Amino acid sequence: MSIVRDYMMRSLNSVTVDDTIEYTIKFMCKREMGVLPVVDKENKFLGTIYGLNIFKDILPEQYGFMDANKIFHEINNAAENLGEIKNRKVKDYMHTKTETVKEKDNMNKATNVMLNNEESYLFVTNDKGYLRGFISRADLLLYLLNVSEGEDDID
Amino acid sequence: MERGEKMITTVTLNPSIDREYFVENHKPENDCYVYDNKNLKVSPGGKGLMAAINLKKLGYPDVQNMGFVGGRQGLFFEKMVQEYRITTNYVYTENEIRNNIKIIGEDPVTYTQFNDYTYKVSEENVEEFIRRFKRGINDSDLILMAGSIPEGVGFDIYKRLIRECNKQDKNVFLQASGEALKQALDEKPKIVSIYFKHTHKILDKEVKTFDDYVEMGKEIISRGVDHVIIPFHSDRLLFTKDEVYCLSPLNFCLRNWLGAGDAYTAAFFDYYYKYGFEFVEANRRGAAAALSIAENNFLFLKDEGEIEQNMDRIIVKQLEGY
Repeated sequence: MSIVRDYMMRSLNSVTVDDTIEYTIKFMCKREMGVLPVVDKENKFLGTIYGLNIFKDILPEQYGFMDANKIFHEINNAAENLGEIKNRKVKDYMHTKTETVKEKDNMNKATNVMLNNEESYLFVTNDKGYLRGFISRADLLLYLLNVSEGEDDID
Repeated sequence: MERGEKMITTVTLNPSIDREYFVENHKPENDCYVYDNKNLKVSPGGKGLMAAINLKKLGYPDVQNMGFVGGRQGLFFEKMVQEYRITTNYVYTENEIRNNIKIIGEDPVTYTQFNDYTYKVSEENVEEFIRRFKRGINDSDLILMAGSIPEGVGFDIYKRLIRECNKQDKNVFLQASGEALKQALDEKPKIVSIYFKHTHKILDKEVKTFDDYVEMGKEIISRGVDHVIIPFHSDRLLFTKDEVYCLSPLNFCLRNWLGAGDAYTAAFFDYYYKYGFEFVEANRRGAAAALSIAENNFLFLKDEGEIEQNMDRIIVKQLEGY
């Protein structure tokens, strides 16, 4: 059976707790990722920062709901709010209870975590906690496709 | 040291997307049409990266490549690198990554290169890279830095990076040339390997004769570097604090230079990780790997076997009187 290392993306692109929200947003855009891993000064995994969490903080209404009649007002409001928080630190917005998998864990474990937590990205560390990469939903689907076609197995 | 215990870090500050076109006949003002996939090769390029790919071929699980990449093509580049299962750790810049074009004509045989040096990096990107580098090398104990530097990056970049390595007690293998090399020597990297790109100069001095090469090798040693490697035609001159060696291949038949130096570096690392640091023997292994590439028509090593079969053809002689 395959292990996480066989399917993961090996990327150490990450932010630290002291990076700003402005830097993080630009980083997310360049990398085309809505979530980034947060690491310490030794590149050990600490948690994640989601674009969604930043949205939640700047939108006046509950995220996902914008009144069509007030939409310009609300967008303006959100932009103003973002202007106010852009210099705040990642540590104020990050998740620290993010589940991870180890690169040598089997893919069933990764599947289980991703399906139960509805995570779009599952970050991968080595035994010492150093960030090693991530598994995306597409990677997970590829694994399941390979299982369905007999090119991989779950035992 | 066991394979896989540590991350191997390679640094490529000025990577490129290399596009090779194989055409029947390449003449100015003649249109060429490429219909067959095998006549178009697109690959990621850059000295440290090529060595990283070879290390993966030799079975090392964790090999990281750090550097600058830019724009949409930077994402494409990163995907190509990840196809080799290399861990990527790049600073994304506003400007697009550079593209090198090579056109290889079959009849008559021609080789035309368009080397792109337009890539620019901002000061902000450089500072970001330094921050990422500091935390990126934590899990490595030998760092390879190799190749040219893009516009916008100061000639002191290698010096700054080596300073960080020294603070964290990491050994550095530096493959550089020109002013960036000259400044880097201030921080005394453990191993320096010279390469020549546009000029045949070392520390601003033109090198022509054998004695010129030896003189400059010793000059670098005198500046506090432990080991120096200088290419001399098909040979390599190896310098330690007290000795000078000449390493030569037996019955050498050149077919392809491209990738040979990178295979050399990777096999040098391979020796280091397997047997510890023995400078001359590590170079012998490097040369055996380079021979595999230079006498064949591929870019990367396939496996260790290729190195082993050439080991007997690498002769190392200590030079007396130097």
